[in-house]
Amino acid sequence: MVKRSGRAAGIALMVLAVGASIAGLTTSRQVHGEYGDVVINNYSDEAGMRPVVFPHWFHRIRFRCKVCHADLGFKFEAGGNDINMLKIIDGAYCGACHNGDIAWSVENCDLCHSAKPRTPTQVHDSTIQKLVAPGKSK
Amino acid sequence: MIKKFSSPLPALAAIACVPALVWIIASDAGAQGSPDGKSLYAIRCAACHDTGLLGAPKPGAAGDWAARLPRGRDVLLEHAIKGFNKMPPRGGNPSLTDGDVAAALDYMLSRVEPRKAPATPAEPAASEKKAPVPAPVVKKVRSASATHRGVNAFNRLMKPPSKRNLPPTQDGIHDPGSEGTQALQAPRDSFETLPKANFGNRVDWVAALNNGDIAPRYDRMDPDAKPIIMDLNIVREVKGSMPDVVYPHKQHTEWLDCSNCHPAIFLPQKGANPMSMAGILLGKQCGVCHGKVAFPVSDCRRCHSAKKEPAN
Repeated sequence: MVKRSGRAAGIALMVLAVGASIAGLTTSRQVHGEYGDVVINNYSDEAGMRPVVFPHWFHRIRFRCKVCHADLGFKFEAGGNDINMLKIIDGAYCGACHNGDIAWSVENCDLCHSAKPRTPTQVHDSTIQKLVAPGKSK
Repeated sequence: MIKKFSSPLPALAAIACVPALVWIIASDAGAQGSPDGKSLYAIRCAACHDTGLLGAPKPGAAGDWAARLPRGRDVLLEHAIKGFNKMPPRGGNPSLTDGDVAAALDYMLSRVEPRKAPATPAEPAASEKKAPVPAPVVKKVRSASATHRGVNAFNRLMKPPSKRNLPPTQDGIHDPGSEGTQALQAPRDSFETLPKANFGNRVDWVAALNNGDIAPRYDRMDPDAKPIIMDLNIVREVKGSMPDVVYPHKQHTEWLDCSNCHPAIFLPQKGANPMSMAGILLGKQCGVCHGKVAFPVSDCRRCHSAKKEPAN
């Protein structure tokens, strides 16, 4: 009886594990984010905020790459800029424009902090993400 | 255990009956709460139906369904497929099959109905526990929608047209439950008037800039600042039969500053920058931008564009 229940528990665990992995697969398949959308989750999850989604497409219609990547000093690396709200409110990084003057200001938390919780830092739909390390590309 | 039963037979018979009973119930419950319906709901319907946007009935709110349930499932399904009041046909996603819509609807109903219509007292508990048992109906739904998902998808890395440039509420990254997500602009709204490309955002950004379709600022504050453009092509001879690479400074300096690439990514000296496609695919050199925001390297001939001189 004990052996049998042990085996049954084992089978149940396997079924659960398989189910979980299938669920994981389908979740990754359901992601169809826009090319170049950057999810930044350096501190958000820990702070109980949704991670940030930065849409490159929206910004490149309005500004050339040089404005952010040369003038404002954004490095070409997702999550590599150590941005936090203090710096932004101080006028650095996003805060250089998102100050209520050039673009809407930082009290619109939800407009940037709009990713699903626990989404890892990544450039969405990037070649590396698709071919090499799904979910871990920078 | 054995002492409780005078003979093991009744117990065995009972055990044998339970799976049969459960299977019958599960085939019904499975159709209502199948994982397909649940995931479809999460991607396609939750944006409006979780939040009650435009009066959409919320699955958890029994009050929202009081006037709708009496119409019956068939009428509700017809409304979901053909559209009704503010509900767009197929929730605004023409790619959904009737089976997809039915699965999502059944999932929503499964979240409403248990409270309203309890079946015989003993059964609901059993059906809840055993719901994951695969039911024939679930399989039918899967095969109906296999044309755009699953193992029969043409190429797992290629996005079908219905999955390109999705609005934030459907893209799988943004949280549809956030008010901010609802307020964000959809890429398609902006891309409609821009020249098309086959890769990336499906927008030819260089052509869009040349045509004047977009006028991105070169300076954060000054809308009239003009870029410093350097018109110099660099030809890189490559191995094998691939055409040589022509690197145009012009198109790059339209967008970028010299310091973006030199000297950190490329030393400004001929022959000083060994590179390979493998490295580029992994995000080195050109791959810092191409494959992330600029057109991806699957568009080979946009770089490998100079036909080689035939060898004498």
